[in-house]
Formats: sequence, C-alpha cells, structure tokens
Amino acid sequence: MFQALGAHGPVLSPLAELVLDVVLLGSAFLLLARPTKRPVFDSLFMICLVVSVSLLRVVMQPLPNVQPVTVAALLVGAQLGARRGAAFAVLVAMISNIFMGDGWWTVFQAAGWASVAIAGSRLPLVTSTGLNLGRVCMASIVAAFWFDLFVSFSILDGSIGFYEFIIYLGHGLPFDFLHMAGNLTFAVWLGKWFFNLLEEEPTLEEIEFAVVNGHGIDG
Amino acid sequence: MQGRFPALLLLSLLLLPLISAQEGYNEWEDTNTFAWEHDFESGFISTSPLFTGEAVLVRTSGNGKPAVTAFDLEGDTIWQRVNNQSSSNDMSPLLHVSAGEGTCGVWPEMVVVGWTDGRVEALQPSNGELLWSAQTEVAGWGVTSEFALDGEFVIIPTRKGIGQYCLADGEQQWWSQTGLGWRNGVAVGDTGYFSGDESGVLWHVDRMGVTTSYPLGLGKIRHPPVFTDAGLIVHAQGVSSSTVAVFDVSNGSVSQQLPAGPSPAKPALYGSFLVTGDSSSVQIFSCTVLCESVAQMPFLTNGELRWLDDSLIIAPLNTPNSNWGMFTFDGLDNLSFTELDVGIYGYGTAAPLQFIADGKVFTVFGNDQSLLRVFTRAAEQETQPQPLPQSQPSTDFDWGVQGLIFIMFLLIGSSTVLFLNGKMEWFFRTSSLFFLIIFILILPDISTQWSELFDEQFPVDANDEQWDDEWPDAWLDTQIVIIEIDGEDQVIGGLTGHDTVYSLTQDACEQLGYNLGVELTELGYYIESINGIEGNGWEYFTDGSKGVVSVDSAAVESSTIVRWIPV
Repeated sequence: MFQALGAHGPVLSPLAELVLDVVLLGSAFLLLARPTKRPVFDSLFMICLVVSVSLLRVVMQPLPNVQPVTVAALLVGAQLGARRGAAFAVLVAMISNIFMGDGWWTVFQAAGWASVAIAGSRLPLVTSTGLNLGRVCMASIVAAFWFDLFVSFSILDGSIGFYEFIIYLGHGLPFDFLHMAGNLTFAVWLGKWFFNLLEEEPTLEEIEFAVVNGHGIDG
Repeated sequence: MQGRFPALLLLSLLLLPLISAQEGYNEWEDTNTFAWEHDFESGFISTSPLFTGEAVLVRTSGNGKPAVTAFDLEGDTIWQRVNNQSSSNDMSPLLHVSAGEGTCGVWPEMVVVGWTDGRVEALQPSNGELLWSAQTEVAGWGVTSEFALDGEFVIIPTRKGIGQYCLADGEQQWWSQTGLGWRNGVAVGDTGYFSGDESGVLWHVDRMGVTTSYPLGLGKIRHPPVFTDAGLIVHAQGVSSSTVAVFDVSNGSVSQQLPAGPSPAKPALYGSFLVTGDSSSVQIFSCTVLCESVAQMPFLTNGELRWLDDSLIIAPLNTPNSNWGMFTFDGLDNLSFTELDVGIYGYGTAAPLQFIADGKVFTVFGNDQSLLRVFTRAAEQETQPQPLPQSQPSTDFDWGVQGLIFIMFLLIGSSTVLFLNGKMEWFFRTSSLFFLIIFILILPDISTQWSELFDEQFPVDANDEQWDDEWPDAWLDTQIVIIEIDGEDQVIGGLTGHDTVYSLTQDACEQLGYNLGVELTELGYYIESINGIEGNGWEYFTDGSKGVVSVDSAAVESSTIVRWIPV
C-alpha cells in the first residue's frame, strides 16, 4: 500500500525479512502455546479462522482500506481472549501479506491488529445477554483510526520529519473514514454471527462441574 | 408487512428502465465511419487540427520532432514543416488567415504558427512554404498562446507581453509588456485586446499598445477571455478550484464570480451559451444580462472544448486511457453525456476538428498518443439531422453499473422501510452498506480534492532540490525531471503544462526513451519500473519533498523539479 503511495518504510534485505517472519511466527506460537482441553480441535479451529479471514482480506484487497481483519481481531479478542486474539492478528497479517506484499509494514499491521484484539479482550463488549453491538460499533470506529495511525508509523525511516508525517496522516484521512465505514458495516452485518461462531462449546467435564457446583450451592 | 418487500422489489424493477433511458444513444458512432488515420509514432497533438479548404493541418510536438503536417482528404501527406529549435511542447493553436489587404500591405491566405522557441511563422497552406517569420522573446519557453486576428494584424501574446504584427510581412507594430503568461490567449474587443497572466492579472492593451492592468486575484488566467452579453468571461485557475468570473469592461470590475472545479479547460461560446470544463465537470452557462449556470455534468477535461453545432459539444477526456466525451444540450437546462470511442486512448487536450468537404462531414481527432484519426459521414445528414431514437436500446449498456445502481435503490428503499417499521438492527445493516458503497465510489474524488485542499492549507517548504547551473537556461521556470539510473542523474527539463507527477514523469520518460512500468492500485498509479529497472520500487520527491500520495494525485507547479530514486 505504501509503495503505491510512493512512500516506503525501511527496505529489508531477504535475511532481515526471514528473521522478521520467524519472530512473528514464533510470537504467534508462543501466544498459542498453553495447555488446552482440546488441543486438536482448538488448533484446527484457529487454523480455519486464520485462513478464512486472511482469504477474506486478500479477496477484499481491491476495496481501498476496507479491512475485515480489524473487526475480526476485535471479536476474537473479546471472545477468545487476548493471547489467542493477538496470535490470530499476527498470523492473519503474515499469511495475507504473502499474497498482498510482505515487508516492514507487516510488523506494524500485526502489532496494530494485535493491539485491537487485546483491546477487544479488555473492553466490556460482552454482557450477560451476549454481544453488545453498540459497543462493538463504537470500538470498531476507534479501532479503525488507531490501526491506521499505528501502521502509519512504518513509513518513519529517518527521511520524514514530524511535519511531513502529520501531512502524510492528513492525506490519509479519507481512507481512515472508509476503514471506519467498512468496520461499521462488518460489525452490524457479521458481528453477532462471527461472535457466536467463536463461542466455545463447553466440554462434558465443564458441564458436569457446573452442575455439581450448582447442586453444591443449592445444598 | 409480508407484502411490502415484493412491492419494494417491484418498485425498484419499475425504476430500472428509467435508469437505462439515461444511457445516451450514441448517434455519432452509428452515423460516422472511420476514413483514415496517421500515426506520427511520437509526439503529442495538443491542439485542434485545422482545415484550410484543401488540407488538414496538424501540429505535433513533445518527444517527436516539432512539426506542422498537412494531409489531403485521403490522408496522404502533402507537406511537413519541422522546427527542430522548438524544444518544448508546442501548444499554440494554428491560426488560419484568409487573403486580404490593409494599410501595411497585401497578404495571401496563410497559416500562422507559434513555436516555443519564440518564432512566429506564416506558412502557405498549399505547400508549407514560409511567407514571413518573426522572433518573439523566450523566457523558459516562447509562444504557447492562442493568437487572434484584428483586421490587418495578428495579435500575439508572447511570454511577457502582447505584440501586434502586420499580416502582410510580419513586421511588429508594437509590443507591450504585461505579466508572465502561459498559454494565455487574447480576446479582441472594441477597445483593444484582453489577456491574462500567471499572477491573475487581466490586461487590457489598446490598439496603440497602451496597457492597463486589472489584478483580479482569482488565480491564473491561461485561456483567452470570452466576450458575452453579460461581460467578459475569465475562467481563472486557483490551487484546488477555479472561478468563472464575469468582468465588466465598462468599469473594470468583476460583476460575478461563479465557482468551478480545478484546472479549467478553454471555455467556448455558442450564441449566449458558454461551455466551461475542468477536472470535475462540464458546465453550461447562459450569459445574457447575467451569467447563470444552467447545466452541469461530471467530467474531467482540461483542454479545448468544441461546439459542433448548437446542441453538441465534444471535449477531450484528460485521464489515462481516456477518450472523448460528447455532450448534448437541449438549449434549456438538460445536458446528457455519451462517451465517444474513436479508437485513440490516452491523455487528451485537443478538441476535434469538423468540416464539410466533397459532400462529406469530416471529423478529425488527435491527442497525446500521436495518432490522428478521421471519420466521415454524408453531408446530407448534417443538414437533416435524424431524431434520436429514444426507444432504441443502447449498445453501451453497462450491466455492472446498472446492477450497482439497482442494488443501491434496493438498499435505500429497504433502509427506509426498515426504519419506519422500527427494525433498527436491519436498518443499520442496510444503511451502513449503502453508505459504504457510496463512500467507496466517491473516495477517489474526495481523496484528490482533500489532498489538494490539505496541500493548500499546509504547504511543505522544500528547498532541497536546487537549480543546477549546468542546466540550460531554457529550462528556467519549466518542469524538470531527474531520474537516478545506476547512480547517475538522468535529467530532462524544459517540460511544460503538466499538472501531476504522473503526467510529467510520462513525458520525461518518453523524451529520455525510457519505458515506464505503471500499475493501477486502489490508491492510484504506482510506478513499478523505469527503463526496466524495478528494484524494490521507486519513490519520488517534488522540489525535495518526499511524495506521500500516488503519482496521479501529486500536483506539480510550472517550475517543479521531480526526482525519482530507485529504492
């Protein structure tokens, strides 16, 4: 995207790109590496999730700055927690950029979406009645601007001053608003469906524990 | 409730024929047939060709040899006059002069040609032989303006002034200094001549050469003012917009200011109707006591506009891979648009030429692609125009566009119904999708306008790119491009008339003989390679400032230095 604008971040050598990819991949696995009751199911589910959202991002590339990943990261963070949300963000950024162009900016995109996922896990987006769509919409608007700002830092390579950077941000405002509009549309159309998709089915042990615990309280 | 959605669907289906009816029936393409073409292979056709009664004259310049070439009606070359001293783009329109006599002598039929090396030549139309020539001053470039006739004189706006020359022998009667001008044509009135300059000053020069200045402060005045019943029309070019100003010559003041888009085209008058164009639209003004905008159509044109008759206007579309636009005006307030595909695609500023000869109507097209194409039709059709068959379906029906419009109708209709029924969640869904589509469609225009506005409000001071004393003086105040190839600067200067980094770079690469690899991305044009060198991309600097928008959105001034560096 930034090359298209004529603005570049630092240009990485092939070795540096390899190191970068290894670090990103390593951090994603580190985030995911923790004991789980259903390791195979959880892994398959995460793979499907990452691949499908990455594919969606690639398919939607012709639409300028319409980013389905932002809302997805927000909801994954809200439903699956900060660790898996951040891992999801890093993996989606890496895989989709294999097709859309890898580079220095991948780090910022991965970090930007990871921060959105973490914010999703911390914000009260889920209430006792389920997903609060109004809050998700508000969060997705803020997330659009935050992500775009964060990724814009990738052009700072020492040749651009503060004033020029502000000019650069100013030029991008229409695209930020489009990102915001895209997020809102994704949130209202697919937010609840995607959230429910992410909802974990309780295991038999968890159901049994809940029942016993309930009886204990009753008793 | 259950019946409302089918009703809405039916309503939308009923609206579909209304949409398709707006698609213009292209009578012109059906009635005109391709006659011949000539490929100059290089150079630009920046101004309208000229018909002298026997020959079609075309001027070409740019990266090819600067020349005026004459063709017969069959497309065979009759003669060609080359001026290798004219190193920049020649944009001064050719002027056809009938034979006559005056106090300063007798003159034959001639074509007057202005060159960017400052030379003005009178050529014999039949064989291209030189009748006389005159040298005008050169400041970066020489003549770029449109001449005018005033009795036995030709009035020539030069780079720094206006001169009056005798048609019989080309002798200068007088020359008066005005402001620094660029493509600044002249209008002849009862009291003398009017012309503008780059500082936004309108100049009046009487027939003795006495000047009076009127600083309008509305922007650059680059086209000949136009006399109308409402006053003298000046289309002044601002940074991100323009103003159609009505100037009252009786008291030297501006009586009306009408807003228009950026980079104005050359206005053209037919009766009381004035057509203007710019980077955003084509507008029709009715100018009687006052000028009033009566019709407008989105379009991007920056060159010559041409009325072919009282209802038909043709304008060159000035975008990559573009063509011409044909506008039909009903004389009241309706303006319809049809794209005219003449088989030449690319940037264009030259209006087509239309004339009748040998019982046929000839229409001649040329643009920056150095290709001249001629179409003909029987002249009877000119005198007995056929009514437009309104019911005939257009062959240009664009299913994609119509489908999108249909979906938009569905979404806005659904949103309204859902809102009235209190189904707020579904209302938000349909309305958000509606606004998202709208936003995506208008984003390119908004982004361009916003960037221009932003640059205007927050200019970047850049002094890093300095003038090199080794460059020729002729490049002073012109556009210069530096391309770093294998660590060495390849420089080309003396370029003029470009509005964007993209257009300027294209011209520079053509002149340097480099291939330019371009990719259209969602954010605009991206330069992939120059002279086959891709590297990790290319980045550009305008006057030392790093480019932060796509090349087709990056504006350049008349003396900008653009540097390209491989990453």
